[in-house]
Amino acid sequence: MGGYGDIQLLREDGLRLDGRKVDEMREVVIEAGVLPAADGSAWVKHGLNIAVCAVYGPMEAHPRKIQRQDRAVIDVRYNMAPFSTSDRIRPGFNRRSREISKVTAEALESVVLVERYPRSKIRVEIEILAAEAGTRCVGLTAAAVALADAGIPMRDMIVGVAAGKVEDTVVLDLDKAEDNYGQADLPMGILPTTGEIAFLQMDGDLSVEEYNTCLEYNMKAAKEIHAIQIDALKRRYEQKMGGGV
Amino acid sequence: MVALVPSLLRQELANLAAQDQRIDGRAQFEARELTLETDCLYNAEGSAKVTWGDTIIYAGVKFEMRTPWPDRPAQGSLMCSAELRPIAGRKYEPGPPSPESIELSRVVDRGIRESNCIDMDKLCIIPGEKVLGVMIDIHVLSDQGNIFDACALGAIAALRTAIVPAERFDIGEDYPLTVSMTPTMASFTRVGGRYVLDANEEEELGGDERIHITLGDEGHLHSLQKGLRGTLTPAEFAEILEVAQSRCAELAELVNSKEA
Repeated sequence: MGGYGDIQLLREDGLRLDGRKVDEMREVVIEAGVLPAADGSAWVKHGLNIAVCAVYGPMEAHPRKIQRQDRAVIDVRYNMAPFSTSDRIRPGFNRRSREISKVTAEALESVVLVERYPRSKIRVEIEILAAEAGTRCVGLTAAAVALADAGIPMRDMIVGVAAGKVEDTVVLDLDKAEDNYGQADLPMGILPTTGEIAFLQMDGDLSVEEYNTCLEYNMKAAKEIHAIQIDALKRRYEQKMGGGV
Repeated sequence: MVALVPSLLRQELANLAAQDQRIDGRAQFEARELTLETDCLYNAEGSAKVTWGDTIIYAGVKFEMRTPWPDRPAQGSLMCSAELRPIAGRKYEPGPPSPESIELSRVVDRGIRESNCIDMDKLCIIPGEKVLGVMIDIHVLSDQGNIFDACALGAIAALRTAIVPAERFDIGEDYPLTVSMTPTMASFTRVGGRYVLDANEEEELGGDERIHITLGDEGHLHSLQKGLRGTLTPAEFAEILEVAQSRCAELAELVNSKEA
């Protein structure tokens, strides 16, 4: 969090720079089954962010040292395309993408019924094609849809959402300016049916009250995005069945 | 399994070729349907998405301000890089760039570079101090055969629609990049003993060597590459070159129709 005070992020009328209300999220569009080579896939546009996710597997887990006798392991790679940000990113893994990959995998392992596939591996490949703040959340939302599209059993979906604080005001779903110059960011991976939290990070400065408002906003957004996820999967399913129900 | 399936597939492909047929019903020199979208990625200065049969790639152009190479103080630079990331298919593994992805990058790069469609002198801002570097990055999302042609098409389409972000570099107003030509690629794979245009995934698995031909305006050759084990005769090359002439002209027309 930059915390620069000289950039105005809220307008006189209380709306945000892009005209959203404080508890309004950016537009979310989801398509399931977009990559023919993959076992399951999803495309998510969230504001100006674009994430594509492919799922391969379950397959044999190798190298063997990663195998678990009692369950499947989920191998996540979160990667930002070189052209996804305003300054080109050098290709290859960095510390940021490794950390995000790790916590994303652990979040997905909390909803996928991994014990059904002992000694196997499920590959989840997340590519960020365009980034405008909140890519880890968009990647998580995409991964859940891709896993469902691959027919992998899960006890719930996961939705990635973030709330934060700008100019001492709690706002839902930070955009680029708010992310760069705001005071706090609280990304969460939420199980929309049970309200459990499978992914949690935060940086910045929040009071307990502010945290509670963030949580409330995130829960509300999770329900909305969940409906869009389900709609994408239904459309995909109808296509597979040859149209119509 | 691994040894058995390709040998069965090879036999099937050979039987089909003997009857002048292909595994997906296409004619010998018929390409799959393709769609080209441009200007589809926020943050890229030029972008393209190519859906070529079931193969999907994205290409994005970025610019950077850099100091020139000491031996070319008044010239900018061009770099084209294709990444075969593990999202592209089951067979792709994480790790440093494979020889296959390096070959893909370099073949696509040569086709664009050698056509001289970008005037490197025009990318010079202050001789000896500041030049523009043009970077084309290609992301393969779904490999279902013939990624070479798809990547080459996406790269030139992204380049031809790119806007130089001059304001961001404090060198005046944004302007479209000048690209004087539209080099495109046609690739042939030997399947069942004969060359076919635009091999799909199965044909690549059960086929032999491949030939990549990049042609510019007026059908001039700018890059050739033979990949994988196998040989060809001059007569065979003459035949596929003729097919490439009409195919590349078609693709160039498609790219040129996308210009803003």
